[in-house]
Amino acid sequence: MEILQYSVRKLIAGIPLVLGVTFISFLLMVYFGPDKTYELLGKNPTPEQIEEVRRELGYDQPFLTRYALYVQEIATLNFGSSESSGELVSSLLARTIPVSIALITPGFVLGNLLGVLFALIAAYHRGSWADKFIMGASAVGMSISFLIAIIAFQIIFSSNFGLGLFPVRGWNVHSFGDYLSYVTVPTLATVFVALGYNTRFYRAVIVEEMTRDHVRTAKAFGTPPARLFYKNILKNSMIPIITRVVFSIPFVVISGSLLIESYFGIPGVGKVTFDAITSGDQPVLKAVVGLTAALFVLAQLLTDILYRAVDPRVSLT
Amino acid sequence: MSDGSEILLSIRDLRVEFATEQGVVRAVDGVSFDVHAGETVGLVGESGCGKTVTGLSILRLVPCPPGRIAAGQIEFRGQDLLQLDTRQMRDIRGSRISMIFQEPMTALNPVFTIGNQMVDVLRDHEKMTRRQARTAAIEMLDKVGIPDPAVRIDEYPHQLSGGMRQRVMIAMALSCGPELLIADEPTTALDVTTQAQVLDQIVSLQEEFQMAVILITHDLGVVAEVCSRAIVMYCGSVVENGSIEPLFEQPRHPYTAGLLNSIPRIRDDRLGKLPVIEGMVPDLLQLPAGCRFADRCGRAGAICIESRPQLNDGAGGQTAVACFNPIDVQQ
Repeated sequence: MEILQYSVRKLIAGIPLVLGVTFISFLLMVYFGPDKTYELLGKNPTPEQIEEVRRELGYDQPFLTRYALYVQEIATLNFGSSESSGELVSSLLARTIPVSIALITPGFVLGNLLGVLFALIAAYHRGSWADKFIMGASAVGMSISFLIAIIAFQIIFSSNFGLGLFPVRGWNVHSFGDYLSYVTVPTLATVFVALGYNTRFYRAVIVEEMTRDHVRTAKAFGTPPARLFYKNILKNSMIPIITRVVFSIPFVVISGSLLIESYFGIPGVGKVTFDAITSGDQPVLKAVVGLTAALFVLAQLLTDILYRAVDPRVSLT
Repeated sequence: MSDGSEILLSIRDLRVEFATEQGVVRAVDGVSFDVHAGETVGLVGESGCGKTVTGLSILRLVPCPPGRIAAGQIEFRGQDLLQLDTRQMRDIRGSRISMIFQEPMTALNPVFTIGNQMVDVLRDHEKMTRRQARTAAIEMLDKVGIPDPAVRIDEYPHQLSGGMRQRVMIAMALSCGPELLIADEPTTALDVTTQAQVLDQIVSLQEEFQMAVILITHDLGVVAEVCSRAIVMYCGSVVENGSIEPLFEQPRHPYTAGLLNSIPRIRDDRLGKLPVIEGMVPDLLQLPAGCRFADRCGRAGAICIESRPQLNDGAGGQTAVACFNPIDVQQ
């Protein structure tokens, strides 16, 4: 009950956030984004033709009217059709979002799990060679550009110069085997890039918890190491961990991984967004921006509820 | 007094070192003392003198790194704790030797109920079902004077006051019937009335449980009130060790005497300027070769600068003292 009331309040409080984000984004889209008019017209259009296309695109309306229409579209979740392909935006997203999720989830999960694992090893052996090696390696990993990592992994795993084990590009998935063959190299690249930062972040969190008084108390009472880790260290580190993980979800779901999708030629939502930005496909952009903002509000709500679940000192009021 | 009773804990020549940026610091340097079964010993000294580190060493809780128990023996009922493997050490912690800490606000795990934490401790050391452990925990909470223990047991640490939390710590520490309780400044963080109550609680429970207590404190008043013996530490070593009466009435080490002199006495006719011990504690990184108190001591001679005095036996009802030129006992 408490959670329900809190959710309703939080969702209502999220409306101004969504409005603010969409207003600014729409402003940029309209005044600084590409104009689709001439792309749709042939050579040497007459003023009447230009007029007509602009009316069809809605460009002739005043800004605030267009923004009000946008808000209405968000409220009804009906964004019309893409101006590039004519496909319904809803079906476009329904087709591409699952691809992005399927593409990014393994890397996201592995990147975080391995990050926690390495962070634990480093934190438990603070100052030892293992700690120094892990921290050094993660600094190196963080310093290598994502682009270089992608290309390097493509050469190593997918090309004839390397192992040639996996397809370089595309997403022709009909079975789990196909899925694995297409997802492996992008996953490796994502994990490689995320791991350094994750490890350093989690190590800092874990080290901080390990030096707390209650950990010493637990040791003084003969708590076995596994429970010391679970009950004293992990449970108390959950707040920063939850914050980090949940707040990355909107990016993962909507924006997808723009670089990954364009370099591996994967038709996910990141690629669709990228194409829409370059071509000025406003209906698609409007949908992606609006959904990202809404997902952020939901993520915020989810983090608060999870905080409550892991820490009794947090109250949802 | 516990003369003649069996020796429970015997620390010999304990040396604890910390690696710092500037070099290795010996926080505890050659500390030796015994604790008899059932007695209350005060471990006294100013901040940084090594009393807490000594207490932590007994349970091998010195944070490592940077700390390290470099040398010595800590024999508990004839068994050297420093030779045990981690598993054996875990069985002793919280069961035969317990420790309570200075900071009741942060010493308990904030995300579990106190009942949950107490049940864990009981079930780690005793063969008990969850239900039995819970009953035992409620009983212990009742013993330390927590009202409504059956309700309070399901509360989280943040729902209790500082005094309550320290009582919970005491209840947890005593739940497995330890032979030795190390209390590291258990009342320092509490307000004065609560301090007295918590101390009384420790004293009465000590009688009930027949355990020895090492009370680590900088408060000589507390020591005089509850301890039968006091061990005075200065700069990482023991300077005086003896029963309360001779130690407080006729201290032999100039440092002990200085400490006792600097306690304010409210009943004095007028509150004059409080006597202080002149000078500063030496830097642990640059310790003098001789007596560590020499440059603050009015009685220091040439020998005090050259070599370190060892703790003597303290025969004949006198306190044991580490001083070449101790204050004479007036007959």
